[in-house]
Amino acid sequence: MATKEITKEMSQKEALYIKKVNKRKLSGSLEFTTARLGWQVTLALSAFFLFQAVRKGGVWFAVAGVYLAGFALDYIATQRIIKEVTGDTGVISDTTRKLGWLMLPFVLAGDFFMFIAGCMLIRKEKNMEYQLSVYSLLVTIFILVVSALNLFKESQADTFWLGMGLYALYAVLNLVIMNAVNKYTYGKKPDKKFLPYAYICIAGLALGNVFSFLLGIISLGKYYNKNEEVSVEWIDVIRRLFRNYMSCVGMFIVIFLLSVSIASMLTFDYDIAISNNFAARLAAPSLMYPFGCDEFGRCVFTRIIFGARISLLVGMISTLAPCVFGGMLGAVAAYYGGKVDNIIMRVLDVLNAVPSILLAIAVIAAFGTSTTNLILALSIGGIPGYARTMRAQVMGVANQEFVEAAKACGAKDGTIIFRHIIPNSLAPIIVRITMGMGSAVLSTSSLSYLGIGVEAHVPEWGNVLKAGSKFLETNPYIAIFPGLAIIIIVLSFNYFGDGLRDALDPKLK
Amino acid sequence: MKKLLAMALAAVMAFSMVACGGSSEGETSMIETKPEKIVVLGQSSGEANMNIVRDQLTKAGFEVELNTQPDYASWKTQLEGGNFDIALTGWTTVTGNVDYAVRGVFHSTGDYNYGPVIDEKVDELIDKGASETAAASVATYTELENYLVTENAYVLPLYSSMKMMAYDNELLTAEGIYQPKSRPGRWEMYEYIDAANNDTRTLTLTQTSSTPSTLDPIQANDGTMNTLSGNMYIKIINLSDDDEIITDSSLSHAYAIAEGNSEYYFLLRDDVNFAKVENGEVVDTGVLVAADDVVFSLERASNKNSVATHKTFTLHNHMQSIEIVTDLAELETKKDSDTGATLLETLNKGVETPVTALTDVDEEVDNAAGTYQVVKVTTTEPFPQVLNYLAHQSAGILHKEQVESYNSKFTVEAYDPTKDVCYGDFAAIKAGDTSMLWCSGPYQFVKVDDYGIDFVKNPGYMPEDEEFAPSIKTIYMKFIKDTTSATSAFRAGEVDILGSVAATDVEVVESDATNTVLKRSSNGVTYAVFNMREGSKMCNVDLRKAVLYAIDQNDFIAYNNGYVMPVYSTVGTLVETGNVHTQDLVKSNEHLAAYQATLAE
Repeated sequence: MATKEITKEMSQKEALYIKKVNKRKLSGSLEFTTARLGWQVTLALSAFFLFQAVRKGGVWFAVAGVYLAGFALDYIATQRIIKEVTGDTGVISDTTRKLGWLMLPFVLAGDFFMFIAGCMLIRKEKNMEYQLSVYSLLVTIFILVVSALNLFKESQADTFWLGMGLYALYAVLNLVIMNAVNKYTYGKKPDKKFLPYAYICIAGLALGNVFSFLLGIISLGKYYNKNEEVSVEWIDVIRRLFRNYMSCVGMFIVIFLLSVSIASMLTFDYDIAISNNFAARLAAPSLMYPFGCDEFGRCVFTRIIFGARISLLVGMISTLAPCVFGGMLGAVAAYYGGKVDNIIMRVLDVLNAVPSILLAIAVIAAFGTSTTNLILALSIGGIPGYARTMRAQVMGVANQEFVEAAKACGAKDGTIIFRHIIPNSLAPIIVRITMGMGSAVLSTSSLSYLGIGVEAHVPEWGNVLKAGSKFLETNPYIAIFPGLAIIIIVLSFNYFGDGLRDALDPKLK
Repeated sequence: MKKLLAMALAAVMAFSMVACGGSSEGETSMIETKPEKIVVLGQSSGEANMNIVRDQLTKAGFEVELNTQPDYASWKTQLEGGNFDIALTGWTTVTGNVDYAVRGVFHSTGDYNYGPVIDEKVDELIDKGASETAAASVATYTELENYLVTENAYVLPLYSSMKMMAYDNELLTAEGIYQPKSRPGRWEMYEYIDAANNDTRTLTLTQTSSTPSTLDPIQANDGTMNTLSGNMYIKIINLSDDDEIITDSSLSHAYAIAEGNSEYYFLLRDDVNFAKVENGEVVDTGVLVAADDVVFSLERASNKNSVATHKTFTLHNHMQSIEIVTDLAELETKKDSDTGATLLETLNKGVETPVTALTDVDEEVDNAAGTYQVVKVTTTEPFPQVLNYLAHQSAGILHKEQVESYNSKFTVEAYDPTKDVCYGDFAAIKAGDTSMLWCSGPYQFVKVDDYGIDFVKNPGYMPEDEEFAPSIKTIYMKFIKDTTSATSAFRAGEVDILGSVAATDVEVVESDATNTVLKRSSNGVTYAVFNMREGSKMCNVDLRKAVLYAIDQNDFIAYNNGYVMPVYSTVGTLVETGNVHTQDLVKSNEHLAAYQATLAE
């Protein structure tokens, strides 16, 4: 604002300029991005709950009230952040940061967006390790919150309290680690004292907590990195990934579902998911049955939780298996070229010519319905796609100098392909995997919906949806919730894949 | 800070310790058994039943594996391969008599004896019941049911379905809507409330299959053609809504059973003509449906070699001879088996002008003048239930010359379905040979395409003022592949009568005040058979009983909103046997333990 004379035309241009500057300032502020999404989602949810409250009253009013309060708080915080970030100093004041503490408890009502926003707001200095520890804690708390819904049931699984206790312990451990992160990881290299914590973090993978695992290996990677001046590339990729908030949210949901499918072994009762109870046939959503009951009186919520296990398992295996086979075939075809290329690719073209869902139906019709056959059916159809991607990538890499150099040194073909070419062609494949995961979950569900996926009583999202489809007119909730679950997981994988693509793209560094 | 953390940790640990010491379930007097593995075979259309069976068996200590097949053909393959312990199936007694309900499914020669149940005593009881009159057979059939289910657990009864149909009550009169227990719907009775509609508005019905197996009554007995054939061809006798033998809408004025229960006499009407399609229009052929057509039709039904693919022979193999009676003295001398009066007296009760002369010449028939035709059916042994079979669609009356004009072009032995066109060949009719069919029933088949069949009423079928003459001129049978879509079509007004309403849809359909859903008991029984092939573990009666007592029919009733009924066997819907199945987990457990004990030895 150098000039004080402002003509009308000038002011318009200037306003535009200032707007742009502010926008850039804000988009660089993690506090702002998280808080904004926080109030937006909270507002949408409170509108929904308010609608429910007007229709049904009772407990919905309380829920709507909590969410409205959350929205008000988050909105005020966001406005303050905007004002302060775009203000003269560009620094968020301590008073605003204190608002972050108030935002944390809303996670108990299920609003994790506010929890993330709160965590980002309360600390001034935030490195990637801090973010990872926040997400790791969030996953644990969320598991506790979701599992706690079982308290409203008539009976809990035998291991319920054991599970709750262990996860509560793990939550405390997460807090301790968070504290350690704040103390020891802000240098170029984590403090030696952090090493035991890092190993604990890696062990978190056993509970499906990938965030904690990432935190552990990043710390170790940094610690054992010999050349301090050069950053480790894969850590940079993860750092870039965490710059995209939507991809973090996607990652959080996927990892939460992964963790909850492990946690459900202890805190959920499988019997409620598959055992018929006609007393509760088509029961409406209530605290006891949060998503209602299906035509056999099975709790839809519990079925969705257990369904995550099969959907994710099938989704992951049926994406990774064709990726490995297809990737290898593609690499070999591209490296050798000529006849080898021709034979492999023409065979795969034949496979590609059959629509994958039809192929899956044919495989299942031939071998019968079971989870293994389902995975097989979905995997075969995915091979050509991965082979094509890999082939295109390898063709580009195979002519580069470092491959020539390897050949000149007398390296064997196998070594060249697996040690030099494939690692340098992986980026597009990784992105394809994340995207493919979503569609694999979708295919699993479609096949189950058609009655040829997993057995009908097994809780799988397509099955749950199918059971609900008969009652769309009278009891829509039975179909809405599994439908939402499918939408959310597919969206999450897509957002995550999108973020990963950007993070891996060397042009966007 | 550290103190705080330590306190929190301690609290959490104490919490989980308390929790781990939780109480265990109360003990019952059950005997310890190993989980018994059992394979349940079914079709995906019966997925819900399979799930209920799975759930109940699991709770009774079995380890259930489901073998779900997408359709009947693959289900049958699995069944024949013996890849099951229990197979879910169903049976509908479309003729309304007990013999039909047991012979096919339990007799050692039965076509649908899937287990199979091979037991001399069962065969004996079935044969005994068949020779007795309705009242006398009750005891025999009760004994059969006890032997089949209570003593030997040869069959696992699940439920009997209700027949539910829906119609638009602002369009059709309630009096015209018949809902027979066994036979297909009676189209000739349907009537619009606004009588002016009868000649102008097409009534739309629906069925799932778009490819009827045939339109020759004897060559099939399945859901693809039963309703069509049932309304295209008249029978010499009929079934009421409750499976009583009646002459309404049949070719007979009256019938009589001679002493000994082996000779059956039918006094024929003279006001039903064959119809045919000429230049796309339905015309009266002027040819009377007469005694020689009856003899021809029933003889081909009872002759296994009359056509290459005779699918209803077992229904008609009890008929020894069919003849036209010309000697009035025979009717005057023989006595009625029920009343003891002469047959002529019994037959005369059904007509205004008493019988004065009998003839076998079609042109001489004149009921108003007392000249009638009488057909006599003689059975191989006393078999009163033959009347039910004569009321079945497969006993429909065809025109002799018309059928022969097609079927005489090739011999039965050399018949090649890819080349030869026999009477009723649906593919040939669809390809355009609409003049093939001569219908004796209330409705004449006009034409078919991929979407439905057009029917027009038979102009020569009884005078218009007659009670059983059809009212509505045109009927369209629309093909709708699945019941959900059919229900939607009915609710949208595209279909006027919905032949079967799913239990889960009743509420939705009834929510519209213009729809009436009629509900009644039916002869449809859903049950399961055990794998009784040699070497199967289900040959052990204890194991079968363990399964039988584990089943709770109340769950099926609850699942179907109360629109199904408990059942004890396929006999139960037809005869009051007084048997009721109840779940008994203690007994189930005892039998399972007994079975496992024999294994251990």
